[in-house]
Amino acid sequence: MTGLSVRLHQERPIPLDAEFACLPGELLALVGPSGSGKTTILRSIAGLYRPESGRIAIDGAPWFDSKTGIAIAAHRRHAGLVFQSYALFPHMTAVENVMAALDHLPAQDRRRRAGEFLDLVHLSGLENRRPDALSGGQQQRVAVARALARDPQVLLLDEPFSAVDRATKQRLYREIALLRQSLKMPVILVTHDLEEAMVLADRMCVLHRGRTLQAGTPAEVTTRPVSPEVARLVDLRNLFDGAVAEHRAVDGKTVIDWMGMRIEAALQTAFAPGKAIAWVVPDGFVVLHRRDRPSRGDQENPVAGRIDSLAVVGQTAQITLRIADDDVHPLHFSVPAHVARRNGLVVGGKATVSLLAEGIHLMASVPGDGR
Amino acid sequence: MDWEALSLSLRLGLFTILVLLPVGIAVGRWLAFHDFPGKSAIEATAALPLVLPPTVLGYYLLVAFGAASPIGQLWHSAFDRPLVFTFEGLLLASIIFNVPFAVQPIQRGFEAIPREVREAAICCGMTPWKALRTVEIPIAWPGILTGLVLSFSHTLGEFGIVLMVGGSIPTETRTIAIAIYDRVQAFDDRGAATMSALLLGFSLVSIALTFAFSRRIGRRLDRS
Amino acid sequence: MANRISDPLFFLSALFAGLLSVAAAGLPATAATATVAAASDLRFALAEIADNFTARTGHAVRLTFGSSGNFSRQIRQGAPFDLFFSADENYVLGLARDGLTRGTGALYAVGQIVIFVPEGSPLQPDGSLNDLRHALEGGRLRKFAIANPEHAPYGKRAEEALRHEGLWAAIQSRLVLGENVSQAAQFAVSGSTDGGIIAYSLVLSPRMARRGRYALIPEALHSPLRQRVVLLKNAGLAAERLYDFLRTVPAKSILERYGFVLPDSGG
Repeated sequence: MTGLSVRLHQERPIPLDAEFACLPGELLALVGPSGSGKTTILRSIAGLYRPESGRIAIDGAPWFDSKTGIAIAAHRRHAGLVFQSYALFPHMTAVENVMAALDHLPAQDRRRRAGEFLDLVHLSGLENRRPDALSGGQQQRVAVARALARDPQVLLLDEPFSAVDRATKQRLYREIALLRQSLKMPVILVTHDLEEAMVLADRMCVLHRGRTLQAGTPAEVTTRPVSPEVARLVDLRNLFDGAVAEHRAVDGKTVIDWMGMRIEAALQTAFAPGKAIAWVVPDGFVVLHRRDRPSRGDQENPVAGRIDSLAVVGQTAQITLRIADDDVHPLHFSVPAHVARRNGLVVGGKATVSLLAEGIHLMASVPGDGR
Repeated sequence: MDWEALSLSLRLGLFTILVLLPVGIAVGRWLAFHDFPGKSAIEATAALPLVLPPTVLGYYLLVAFGAASPIGQLWHSAFDRPLVFTFEGLLLASIIFNVPFAVQPIQRGFEAIPREVREAAICCGMTPWKALRTVEIPIAWPGILTGLVLSFSHTLGEFGIVLMVGGSIPTETRTIAIAIYDRVQAFDDRGAATMSALLLGFSLVSIALTFAFSRRIGRRLDRS
Repeated sequence: MANRISDPLFFLSALFAGLLSVAAAGLPATAATATVAAASDLRFALAEIADNFTARTGHAVRLTFGSSGNFSRQIRQGAPFDLFFSADENYVLGLARDGLTRGTGALYAVGQIVIFVPEGSPLQPDGSLNDLRHALEGGRLRKFAIANPEHAPYGKRAEEALRHEGLWAAIQSRLVLGENVSQAAQFAVSGSTDGGIIAYSLVLSPRMARRGRYALIPEALHSPLRQRVVLLKNAGLAAERLYDFLRTVPAKSILERYGFVLPDSGG
């Protein structure tokens, strides 16, 4: 079994119940709110934290195994960790920081090789600067170069972009994406930023209070969450309760009873008719009926309501639609700002949308979930 | 000017910091990096010589190392000299009463190292010894140096304990501070004045140095 | 967050370094040096005798002055002295009884006390202590110095003399106690006291003589100051020779010059 495999369990002081794997060359994002144990898991992989029980193995060789009592010391693991605060050695120059990770090379090669790693992260020319003479983005690159210089079997990134401004962030995303193509080891990225995970990750693992709730590609997780809890964690706001009315194998549809309406979704037979379920539809699958451009799609799951709020953010209008007067869970969707204007959408005005069947996803309902 | 006393004091100070350098680093580092139940008790114990009247400390040292004590007798049978009233006994007392002067600044020095920087050293593959040498000590050195300077100057100035545990034996335990006391009793005002001026000058320099080092640690703590 | 990185054990190596350093620091006194503990009244007299002795024999002498009682205690705790000059023979006899000395030593002198008044003091040098009484009764006395009677023989004799004249209770609140008679002399001279009762041998030194006036206090007012010298158990060659030197004419004449009354024969 190649790559990284992680299985951790503990009750105190931080609850953990995580299980995931990451293949060589793959980037797995650990996503969840603060306090969900993501950093603890990362530190466990690096050997800086020793959990109560579990197993961490790289390419089949265990670094930690509570059953057999194996716990390889952190400095003997080859894990490259990029800290949230970068943690550069303040008394060393950039190149010396990278050289610090190159002890496995003979002395005369270290400086040259360190220089090569700095080139890789586009920092040539700044080798002899101390960290306090480098910008945040530059420091972060030194941290990445140092982690890579370790010749690590796994690369760990702990919220590396949290302290960086938006423009720099976009630039760094691109650079990391490019850099990744030459990396052969599994890469674990810890972040609370969903968008970051969607942009950078091959696969994503959703965590809450130390438990891995779902792992899959970003597309899977954000359109087919396994539970309402995951749906909320991946920011799916169109989350509703309903009940299965019937399954129609003939045209491949499952019909849901919702707020007195019949909504047609793709066939999902896991749920018995009559059963209460939760369902979700991502914002992108809610389509406005446009007065200026009516279409046949308007026939699909039409839902009418009153506009509750309209916020123009940049070029987009984000709208919430209230279905009935006592409804507390409005529908969220967005349209380009000019479409909102041309269709005369105003707060309090009426609008109709279509819910595209392919986007509607059913999940088991958790009683007393308290949405 | 009692050159013998000055030389004795310098020797006492140097040997004291020679011993307190590794001990201070070991204890200060341990206290800086670990949290455990009973830590406050240990810190308070290490700080005890700071608040205890020197004579109380001197009394307990005599009880612990005097001729009647097991330690004193063991020493005497091993080396054919008593532990008290000798340079070795004075050195031992000096090491003990200087513990807070060494440990506390060194502990602050190590506390100024951000935790993640230490962990980064580990993740770079450094053994704990290598991390101490190449990362921790270069960052903590202002604290270490403050601890040594304070211990050295405190040794030069300590009186009550030295008198009780060492007596005032020339070339053995008569430090420069005791020598000043002795000169006054011998009506040698000039000798007393010369040595006092020397100690005053030395103390001023030490204080200036420790303030300078403390500022460096403060800056480092701010940045991390 | 609980951080359970295990530390290398520095403590053993630090402890080892500590012990090594302590052991290496010792400077053993050689047999060629005499280490002497002497009552403070001998501060000037014995310094001269020691210089004389060193000039003649080449042996170095390390002198430490203090109160006799204090030295007696230190010797019991194993202080490495070769020779002990006590201002009160009872301390020597006590040590001899406990087997810490070579025999009971020898009576080398009988000491005397004086009342000393510094320049500008309202007191008069009156050996009968009548002037002191008048000053006390008239409320004119500020501070008065004696050595600590608990462990300094000269202080004890000062107390006896004051008690003999019925002045002890009245003078209590005015007393300044010196650690030893030398410190008492320091206080008496300093001008912050009106004077004191100290050792005759100290005021005869030129350093004190010109700073005030003095008068001998009659021996009838106190028990005698029989001063005894003794070799301690581990005394080396130099100390033995110094002990013998005390019996010689040069040593004796120095003692006489400092006001000591010499015994006719060795005690």
